[in-house]
Amino acid sequence: MQDSMNSQIQLAVAPHGKPIEKKDPREIKLDVDAQGNIYIARTKVGPNLLSSIVKKAAAEYGQDTPIVIRGDANAKHSSIETAMNACTEAGVYKIKFAVLKEKGR
Amino acid sequence: MARKSRKSVHQAGELNLTAMIDVAFQLLSFFVITLKPVDVLANLDVSRPEPGKKASSKAPTSVISIKIYPNGAYTFNDRVMNRETLMETLKQIGDTDKNATVVIVCTADSKHAKLCEVLDLCGNAGLGNISLLSSY
Repeated sequence: MQDSMNSQIQLAVAPHGKPIEKKDPREIKLDVDAQGNIYIARTKVGPNLLSSIVKKAAAEYGQDTPIVIRGDANAKHSSIETAMNACTEAGVYKIKFAVLKEKGR
Repeated sequence: MARKSRKSVHQAGELNLTAMIDVAFQLLSFFVITLKPVDVLANLDVSRPEPGKKASSKAPTSVISIKIYPNGAYTFNDRVMNRETLMETLKQIGDTDKNATVVIVCTADSKHAKLCEVLDLCGNAGLGNISLLSSY
């Protein structure tokens, strides 16, 4: 359900990134668009709701729950930071940035 | 009366290839037109220190600071660098000391793509000890 990414998000290209081999079923994906809006499963969430969702996930599945931030290449760092801060507040420490290793034509 | 011997002549049935080739070309052009290469995704780790874990008592290794600015420029230990020189420098550091700490300082208005680019270059150089800082 969470795999569907907002089609407006253009991921940054990183050719040397580690390819995704196995997925953790606990993984939470946060989408950050170019305007700085944060989405979980295509639903826009504010900083407070985001924080409570991550806290609940950390309490339920553990603080090693991986968080994948799928940020738009043009998103400002401040909006990525908002997403990261929610993770820090919840004590979640496994954060990954999703990037495009190879762009399809 | 001489009887004429009747030779049975078996004629091989001719296969009309034109229609088959036509269909084959239609299928080929359909697949070529509709083929869409898939984007290959990757992840860049920015693991933070595990809460409750004590800091290691190892001697501190060399610390490198890379700052990313809103205009897309970056500095390496306060020296302005382009992508190629930064990549070369990080590779040299990676070859000598894989445990070197890289502190990436992002300004609030800097683009996320630039952060991913620097993380990618660090990963390519084999540097895994990365800290991320935000500055205003």
